Order: sequence, then C-alpha cells, then structure tokens
Amino acid sequence: MSETLDLTLKVWRQPGSDAPGRYVEYKLTGISTHMSFLEMLDVLNEQLIAKGEEMIAFDHDCREGICGMCSLMINGQAHGPDTGTTTCQLHMRRFKNRDTIVVEPWRAKAFPVIRDLVVDRSAFDRIIEKGGFISVNTGSAPEANAIPVPAHIQETAMDAAACIGCGACVAACKNASAMLFVSAKVSHLSTLPQGQPERASRAQNMVAQMDLEGFGNCTNTEECQAACPAEISVSNIARLNREYLRAKLCSYE
Amino acid sequence: MVTKLAEKQQPSPSAGGRSATKWIMTLLSSSIGQKFVMGITGLLLCSFLVVHLAGNLLVYVGADAYNTYAKELHSMLLLPVAEVGLFLLLFTHIALAFKLTRDNQRARQVGYQQTQSKIQEKPSLFGQTPMGRTSSWMFISGAIILAFLIVHMIDMKLHLNPSVEYSIKTPEGVVEAKPYDIIIQVLGSLTAPIYIVGTIVLGFHLSHGFWSAFQSLGLNHPKYMPWIKKLAILFAFVIAAGFASLPIWGLFIH
Repeated sequence: MSETLDLTLKVWRQPGSDAPGRYVEYKLTGISTHMSFLEMLDVLNEQLIAKGEEMIAFDHDCREGICGMCSLMINGQAHGPDTGTTTCQLHMRRFKNRDTIVVEPWRAKAFPVIRDLVVDRSAFDRIIEKGGFISVNTGSAPEANAIPVPAHIQETAMDAAACIGCGACVAACKNASAMLFVSAKVSHLSTLPQGQPERASRAQNMVAQMDLEGFGNCTNTEECQAACPAEISVSNIARLNREYLRAKLCSYE
Repeated sequence: MVTKLAEKQQPSPSAGGRSATKWIMTLLSSSIGQKFVMGITGLLLCSFLVVHLAGNLLVYVGADAYNTYAKELHSMLLLPVAEVGLFLLLFTHIALAFKLTRDNQRARQVGYQQTQSKIQEKPSLFGQTPMGRTSSWMFISGAIILAFLIVHMIDMKLHLNPSVEYSIKTPEGVVEAKPYDIIIQVLGSLTAPIYIVGTIVLGFHLSHGFWSAFQSLGLNHPKYMPWIKKLAILFAFVIAAGFASLPIWGLFIH
C-alpha cells in the first residue's frame, strides 16, 4: 500500500448564502494516508492561500468526534464511508490512489449554505429552545440514590443523549427530515424522571418547531440511522411518534 | 440572523391548546399526525386486501363457489357503506401521499450531485427495486398501484373492457353474464398483464408499508419489531403471489 495518495477533489464552492455555487476541481499530490480528511482539506487550503486564492470554508471544531461541528457529504455519504464516525475521524487511508472525491455541504432547505461547505444549522438550536431542556434550578448535586432509575432506562436515555446534533440524519434523509435528531432529544429527556413535568409540552413544541423550520417528513427509510455518527436508533423515532400522540391524546397541554 | 429568528418563532408556547377542536387540527396538520393517518389508512387497506384475496381465490374452487360468493357479497345491505368507507380510506391515503411527497421535495430544493446509502443490512425479498431501495420509492410504487386500480375499476366496476362480454344473449333477452364468466374473461384479456405487474408492485409497496405503518404509529419494541418486519415480507409475498397467480392462471392455464 502506498503511503501517499494523489487525489482529485470536486468541492462545492459558493461565495455566500445568496450567491450561486458550483463544483471546482482540485488536484492534490502526496497526501499522507495517515492524515484525517480535515487535515487533507487543511493542506489544500494552505496551497490555495499560497496561490492567493480564496480558501475553502468548512465547519470543524474539536476534531475528535464529540462536538458535532464537522459535516460534509463525501462521495454522497454523510461523514464519509465509515459508520459511527464523524468526518474529522475519517482518515485518508480509506481512499485509494487517484480517487476522485466529491465533497458537498449538507443539503436541506432548513440548512441554508452560508459559504462553501458551511451550512446554517441554527434550525436545530431553535428546536432545542422549544423543549430540549428541563426547567429546574441547578444547585449542588443531589443524592444519587434519591431518584431511582432502572438500568435499561438509563441505557435508553444515554444512547439517545449521544446525539451530537451534527445534522447527518437530515443530510442523509431523502426527505431532509429531522426526525432522528428531534426523537433523540425527546427520548433523552422524556425517559428520565427529571423530564416528566415537561414531557407533553416538550414533544408538541419541538415537533411544531421542526415542522415550522421546513424539514421533511419521515418515511422510515432508515438512512438516518445508518449515517448517524452517534448511532442513534430509529426506535427513537417510534418513541417520538408515541410521545407526540400521547401528548395530543392524553395530556391537558 | 436576528430577523430570521424572529420570523420562525411560534405564535404561542403551547402547540395544542385546550379547545375541543384545535388540538385535532394541530395533530392533523403536523408531520407526525399525517404519518399517523397514513399508517392507519394503510393498515386498514391491508385488511381489505386479505378479505379481497380470500374471496377471489374462490375462483380456483369453481364457478359455483365464486358465483355464490359474489351473489352473497352483493346482496349485503351494508356493502355500499363499506365501499364508501374503502373509497375514503384510499382517497385519504393517496391525497396524503401527494401532500407529504410535495413537502418532502420542498425540504431539499438543491439536490446532491451523488448519494450513496450507508445501510449495511442486505435488502430482503422485495427490499430492492431496480431504482433503489423499496422504502425510497413508495410514491412511485403507489402511483403504479393507482394506475392498476383504475384499470381494475374499468374492468370490474364500470364494465368497459372492450374484450370482455359483460352481457350474453339468451332466448329470453340480454342478461348480465355470471361473475365467474366475467372474471375468467378479464383474467385472460389484454389487461391481464397489467394485473400481474400491478399486484407484484403492490407486494413491493406492502413490504415496506406494512412495518412502516407500525413504526409511524409508535409501535416499535425490540421484542416484536423483528417479527413485524418478517411478517411484512410474508404478508407482501402472500398478497402479491396470491393476486398475481389469478391472471397468470387466466392467461396460461385456464
């Protein structure tokens, strides 16, 4: 196996949110297979700066798969070919010499492109503002055994809480639906005792905001689950459906 | 950004409201509520398919059995009510399909240059179409089934299939042909290949639609979801094979 790669990159370039965009081809030589995908983009940007060209804007922050900032549709797959990882955890050893790699931003009406590969994911923030929290005064940590939580409930809530809000579910869904994201947030809080007081209003308000943002509807294709770097299960979507119906049919809110 | 944020604020913090009808309206205008109706109507239509297939398989028993069944069925007082109900189910299912599909197309206005599934699980029987995974082509398969259904109505309800003699001349005058004689002619006529295609596409539609309805209704549990998914394939196979066997029999064997 060669230690370096020669690659052709086709990258979406768009100078601003209202400006028209297009795909631009870049040739890269001598890319180390030990580099991460984002480091490869860093190398390309250094070359662009040296040539006096505008560098490619892309989102990134922690570069260790926990912040949810990085995105990118790589060869038509959200976060690239690996499962259960983010773009920053993708390494160039996953590609072959002389590969052409197509790099696109998340595409959704609710995620407008700001520049190049950067999209505005504040729609997720507005959904969280509608119920992705519990309204209690924080103080010193309570006695751990004061509120018993069965182990399987802890597991369910923790699995849902693993969502990093990156938006890969929306990007991978043919309908650009945000159901996996919203279901993870609702499941995380509504399964735990602390989430009970706002359970009905949370489901209703978060779903209402999700619809308002212009995300699509869920058709159960399960692409979101396959693309999710936190491996959130679609069983959460069924739980959200249940929570929503329960709130509509059984609550006073 | 600030103005954009303000635009997207909801009018009131409580989405439901306590008024007697408002909560129903918000339920039915929400994405989840509409998927719920889609699932309920789909499952009720599935139950119709079971009854319809059971009745039609009587063709294999013989002319008498089928004619008696048809006569008994059409003498039922509540049949017109059931037919209106069936039409309403179909209409709701189809109208919502158009509405939801249009919403979904609007949710992504600029498409990707290329897309590739990350699902690793192998597609099951009916799981893959030449155009991609069955689950992604529900609107197309539904549209093909609708086209088949229109042909089916022309043949069996409107009696307008030109190659079928719906009435026969007897010494006493012109009388309507027996149901068995009509169905035998239809199953051997030019529209029979449409029946074969239509019912097989129905199988594809059901293989996803059946379990998807349970998911949309929130009925997903690790104890029974694997069984529902298997049952969906079995149900799709029985319905598709059962119905498709009729025109195949009518064309080549009878």
